[in-house]
Amino acid sequence: MEKPIKPGRRRFIKSAIGTASALALARIAPSWAYPTGRSYGDVIAADNAVDLLIRRENLDIGGRIGRPITINGSMPGPLIRLKEGQRAKLNVTNGMMEDTSIHWHGIILPENMDGVPGVSFPGIKPGSTFHYEYDVQQSGTYWYHSHSGLQEQLGHLGPLVIDPADGDIGADREHVILLSDWTFEDPGEVFRNLTVAEGYYNYQQRTLSDTLADIRRQGLAKTWQERSMWNQMRMSARDILDVTGSTYTYLINGRDNATNWTALYKPGEKIRLRIINGSAMSFFDFRIPGLEMTVVSADGQPVKPVTVDEFRIGVAEIYDVIVTPKSDRPYTLFAESMDRSGYVRGTLATTLGQEAAVPELRPVPERGMAAMGMTHEMSRDTGDMNMPSSAADESGMAGHQGHGGKMGKTQQRPSAPDLGIEHASGGHGPAAAMIARNPVSRLNEPGVGLEDVSHRVLVYGDLIGAHPWPDEREPERDIELHLTGNMEKYMWSFDGVKYTEVDGPVEFFHGERLRLIMVNDTMMDHPIHLHGMWMELENGQYPRPRKHTISLKPSEVVSLQISADALGSWAFHCHLLYHMKAGMFRVVKVS
Amino acid sequence: MKKLKVVMFLALAGITNCLLAGHAEDDWSEPVKPYRTGQILFDRLEFTRTDNDADLIVWDMLAWYGGDRNRIYFKSEGKNERGDGEPSELESAEILASRLIAPFWEIQGGVGTRGSMASGADRENYLVFSLFGTAPYRFEMDNSFTVNEDGDIAASIEAEYDIRLSQVSYLQPRLEVNAALTDAESHERPSGFNDVRVGLRYRYELSREFAPYIGVYWSRSLGNKADLIRDQGGDESETGMVIGVRMWF
Repeated sequence: MEKPIKPGRRRFIKSAIGTASALALARIAPSWAYPTGRSYGDVIAADNAVDLLIRRENLDIGGRIGRPITINGSMPGPLIRLKEGQRAKLNVTNGMMEDTSIHWHGIILPENMDGVPGVSFPGIKPGSTFHYEYDVQQSGTYWYHSHSGLQEQLGHLGPLVIDPADGDIGADREHVILLSDWTFEDPGEVFRNLTVAEGYYNYQQRTLSDTLADIRRQGLAKTWQERSMWNQMRMSARDILDVTGSTYTYLINGRDNATNWTALYKPGEKIRLRIINGSAMSFFDFRIPGLEMTVVSADGQPVKPVTVDEFRIGVAEIYDVIVTPKSDRPYTLFAESMDRSGYVRGTLATTLGQEAAVPELRPVPERGMAAMGMTHEMSRDTGDMNMPSSAADESGMAGHQGHGGKMGKTQQRPSAPDLGIEHASGGHGPAAAMIARNPVSRLNEPGVGLEDVSHRVLVYGDLIGAHPWPDEREPERDIELHLTGNMEKYMWSFDGVKYTEVDGPVEFFHGERLRLIMVNDTMMDHPIHLHGMWMELENGQYPRPRKHTISLKPSEVVSLQISADALGSWAFHCHLLYHMKAGMFRVVKVS
Repeated sequence: MKKLKVVMFLALAGITNCLLAGHAEDDWSEPVKPYRTGQILFDRLEFTRTDNDADLIVWDMLAWYGGDRNRIYFKSEGKNERGDGEPSELESAEILASRLIAPFWEIQGGVGTRGSMASGADRENYLVFSLFGTAPYRFEMDNSFTVNEDGDIAASIEAEYDIRLSQVSYLQPRLEVNAALTDAESHERPSGFNDVRVGLRYRYELSREFAPYIGVYWSRSLGNKADLIRDQGGDESETGMVIGVRMWF
C-alpha cells in the first residue's frame, strides 16, 4: 500500500468525512501491497462497512500453485483501514466447508466480538455471515487472523491499520510489511510430524564434525563438558524453531524472494514502515542494510523513538519504524528467520524493478547455558568453570569478551524488578522436560544469534511508552504462570497442564490491577498473547511499554502489569500456532 | 435516532449474550481439542547374511496410537530363515498400554506371545512390562520384563544411539542383552545372562520417513545358554551383515 500523506490529502479526507457520511473511514485500501500487488485482486468496500469473504482456493505462491485460504480473493487478506473513534462494522462470510473465525489481534473490544471460537463466540458456520461491530478506541498497526484450527497457517490473515483521530501518521508515506510463513504441506501433517518425529524439520543439528571441530578448538575435556550437559538433558542446542525453511516459503505481503515485493519512496521522505509478523511459527530478524530505523511503535502502541539497525520480531508482534532514505537508491528489506534456515526479502526503491544486494544468511545460532537457566555462578557449582563462548554471549556477558562498549550500554539500562522464582520440588510433571533452575530477566539481551552483531539491535529494555497509561495503580496481587514443554512428545502447556487438562480459567477480578509473572521453563522462545487487555511490560522504564504479545526467551522471567478492565472470557496463549494447538492455551476470565 | 439504534443493538446483543451464556456455550466447540495420532515404525526391516551363510529376513517394528500421555502399543520382532522350510520365528508380538510417567519415559504393560508362527505351534504366552524411552545422553531404550504361564521371568535391554554424521545420515550402535531370572529349560533360557548382541548401522535418510541402511552385527551366547548351545553342537557366537530400511508412516 502506498499512501503519500500530503496536507492537501488530509484536507480531502476531512472533507470526505464531513460530506460523504464517513465513506472513507472504514474501507479496504485499494492495492495495499502495491505496486506489485494489483493482480491479486483488490476490493473496495462500497459502504461504511467491510465485507470479507473467506474461501479456500488455488493461488500462485512464489511460482507454484498452493491452496491457501483467501480473504476477498487474496492471501494475505486485504488491508483493513479504520479510524480511531469510528464504529467498525465488519461482515465476515464463510465460503468454506469448515467453520472459521476472525480475531482482531490487539484490538480492545467487547468479549463477544473477539472472534475466538469456544471462548468468545461459537465460530462462523459454512455459508453464514458474522457481523462484527465495535467502537474503535485506539490507533496504530494491528492485524487479524483466523482463530479456528490451523487456518492461520493457510494464510487466513491480514493487516489492520487504524488511523489516529487527527489523521497524522507522523510520516510522508507509509507501507505495510506483513511477514508470513507458507508451506505447501497440509498444516495437520506438519503438526503430526512434529508430534511423532522430534526434529522433523530441523536440518541444522549438530553433527559429529561439529563435535570434532570443537575438540580441535578447545580440547576434549571442555567439549565433553559442554556436550554432556545438553545430552544429559536430551535436548538440542540447535533447536531454535520447530518448523523451518526446510518446508516454509517466507513471504512479505504474500510475495516470495523472486517476486521481490517493492515499496516505493522519494528521497528525503519520512517513511513509516508497519512491520507485522503474521507467521504461524517463525521469529524474524528484520533489517534494512544501509538504513537505520527509528522504532516509534510496538504492538500498535506508541513508544519513545529509539534508533536501531535491526530488531527481532516474535510471532504476532508488530513494530512501526520510521526510515528516511536520503539517497536515490534501492534498499533491501531483509527478514531472516531466527534459526537462519531461510529469509524473505523485498525492496525499498525509487522505481520499480530495482534491487539491492541481498545479505547472506548468518551462521546457525546455538543456544548457550543461559537457555538452561544456568548462570555463571551455577555452572561453577556444577564444576563447570569453562562456559562455552556462545553461552557467555547469550547471557549478556559479551562485554567480558571484547565488546566493552556494548556492555556499557547494557549497564545503563534500568533493570527489571528482581523476582525470586522458586520451583516446587515436584516440578511440572511429564509435560515439562525442563525447569529453569535460575530464571532471570533477559530483557536487555537481543536473543540467540544476535549476541555478537556489531550494530544496534533492539531489546525490550529499550522500549519506553510514549506517555503514561490511564491506570497508574500499583498491582494488588501477583499471578504466576510457567511456560512448560516437552519437545520430544510435543507437549506444550502452562504449569505442565495442557488446555484440555485444566480445571478452569485463570481468574482476574474486574477492576483490579494485577501483576502477571511468567517464567519460561522451556528451551524455546514463546510469544505469549493476551486477548482483550494490554500488558504493560515491567522493563524498568517509565512509562512502561504496552504489549499485546510478549516474547519470552528460554529460562526468562518477565512481569507485566494488567488492568483487568474487560469483563468476560479471553484467550491467553502461545502464538506459535502448533504450540497453541498442542495445549499452550488458557482462558482468562475477568469477573 | 442513531443513538437509539446503538442502544437497541447493545440491548439485543446483551440479550443474545445472556442466552449464549445460559445455553449455547455448552454447544460451542472447545478452542483447543484433545489430539490423538499414531505411527507405524519399522526400526529394522532387513536382509541378514550370517557367517554361516544363512539368509534371514528380520523385522523389529512398533505401532502406536494415542495422545501424549496415554498410548496403545503393538510391538513385534521376528525372523524368517530363507530356504529352511520353516515358518517365521516370532521373537515377540506384544500389545501394551502405555503411560507417560516422566518427560522421557513411558511405562508399559501388556501381553505377548513368542515362538514359531506355524499354525498349531505351541507358542509361549506371557505378561510384559516395559520401561520405554530416552535415557540421558539420548540413548533410545526399551527395557522389559516378561513372565510366562509357568512363572518364568526373563528380562531384556535394548539400547540404540544415533551419531549424527550429517543432517540426513547416522551411525547407529545398537546393544541388546537378554537374561533369564529363572530357569526356563523348555524355552532354552537357562538362568543368568543368555546372550548379547551388538550392531552398527549406517543409515541414510532419503526422507525423514524412509531411510535405507547397511550394517554389521555380532552376537554371542553367554553362561549356561552358551553351554547349552555348545552341547547341541551349535555356534556360541555369530556375526552377520545386514541391509535394510528404517521407515515409518
